[in-house]
Amino acid sequence: MTRVARLPRLVGVGVRTHVSYMSRSPIEITFAVLVPLVYATLAVYLFRAAGDPDRLLTASVGAGLMGIWGSVLFGSGGAVQNQRWLGTLETLVVAPTPLALVLLPITLATAVTGTYAMGATVVWGVVLFGVPLDFAHPLLFLLAVPVCVLALGMTGLLLAAAFVLLRNANALANPLDTPVWLLSGLLVPVTVLPAWTHPVSWALPTTWGARAVHAATSGGDVLTPMLAALALGTGYALAAVLVLGRVERRARAAATLTLA
Amino acid sequence: MLFRFLSSARLVLVGGALSYRALFNWTTPPMFVGTLLVGPLLQVFFFVFLGRELQVADDRFHLVGNAVLAASASCVYGGTMAVANERRYGTLGAVLLSPRHRGPLWAGRALPYVLNGLLVSAFVLAAAAAVLGLPVPVEALPGLALVLLAGAAACSAFGLALGALGLRFRDVFLVSNVASSVLLLLTGAAVPRNTLPEWMRTTGELLPLTHAADAARRLTAGDGLDARLLGTELLVGAGYAILALALLAVFERGSRRRATLDVM
Repeated sequence: MTRVARLPRLVGVGVRTHVSYMSRSPIEITFAVLVPLVYATLAVYLFRAAGDPDRLLTASVGAGLMGIWGSVLFGSGGAVQNQRWLGTLETLVVAPTPLALVLLPITLATAVTGTYAMGATVVWGVVLFGVPLDFAHPLLFLLAVPVCVLALGMTGLLLAAAFVLLRNANALANPLDTPVWLLSGLLVPVTVLPAWTHPVSWALPTTWGARAVHAATSGGDVLTPMLAALALGTGYALAAVLVLGRVERRARAAATLTLA
Repeated sequence: MLFRFLSSARLVLVGGALSYRALFNWTTPPMFVGTLLVGPLLQVFFFVFLGRELQVADDRFHLVGNAVLAASASCVYGGTMAVANERRYGTLGAVLLSPRHRGPLWAGRALPYVLNGLLVSAFVLAAAAAVLGLPVPVEALPGLALVLLAGAAACSAFGLALGALGLRFRDVFLVSNVASSVLLLLTGAAVPRNTLPEWMRTTGELLPLTHAADAARRLTAGDGLDARLLGTELLVGAGYAILALALLAVFERGSRRRATLDVM
């Protein structure tokens, strides 16, 4: 089997392994399900109070997207650090497979685990608040969510690469939650933000992923933002490969791979 | 008598300061600034823009509510770390071997988080008000300081009560995470409480920061200090302090009996 042909298997097996691992962690499930449910409840009450019952599904879906981003941010941000704590980082680095391809399944798995949030918030909305499941494009919604997950997983790879350079990755991860919710229009349209923030929004794969998911929910063009999310996500992943190569070489030369 | 008082005061102040330095994971400058100052400040902006979009409440509502809630990051997680991290780092046995009275010992643990919470709330309120152009009357500042202090104290007692669970359960940070999110929903910091169902409003009344947020909003609107709201916040805090001490005593006895004090 050629190296390229082995790639899908590597990613598939890696994602399955890490999703299984994360799904058994109570803290991961809390972040992936319980916390987004609180945000979904908050969003539904706010949208209801605003006299906007037609957008309740958008509120539930938006809270789900917030959960996916939270999962990617903390999961991918800590991907390298976690392997370091588990004592598996050296083994992963010396493996013949490039480090980026070893980390990609982890970051994709954090995004896949994040989809628990989407499922939980939508079911929560339907069961508790009677939110009707009237998706504008139901089939495209089922396509847009995995594409959004893929784009966010690739963004997570860049986060993992960037955070490995920083000793206090959590210090950067903790405040990055809400600005990305805001700048990506997960719950609030980016049009209400000041004009100077718009270029930042456009540069985020989360913006286009969220736009595709929201368009599939409430109507609009789904395919264009979906392709934009994929293109930007691929760009972020390529940047991550470059950063990771440099980080790996530096860590090997300075013998600091296992130093936390 | 005086010697006993001074000894207890030393236990509260010195013991509290040492435990804060040793057990609070976020004291390094990047973590402190990122997690306790920048994170809550950005959360204020998120809810202010959400509020502007939905027109459910004005900027003042979201800004002041979230600034008061900002104390919860250090108070809830700090209170939890003050107890649970002793167990995690294997020092709980040594602490509980001490013959000192548990009241001042645990009160000292909570004290730094009260001050930390006050600092965080004051910073977030000042910075967000400056950026968003919300005027805060100068004559409201002493009252605001009092209200923020009461809120931080009540929230620290709440955090200590959650931390007490760390003597019994392993994944206590899971409880802290959920509690922190529940505070956001039920205290009315982010969503007007009159839009919530009755049972949520009643639960919110029993949580820290609910009354402090209402009192702070009145103060920044120029309505003066509402002594009833301040008193209720202090009462809620006292209730959680008693609950925390009771839980710590019960779980300490239980873990001694089962010899599970340091078991992870």
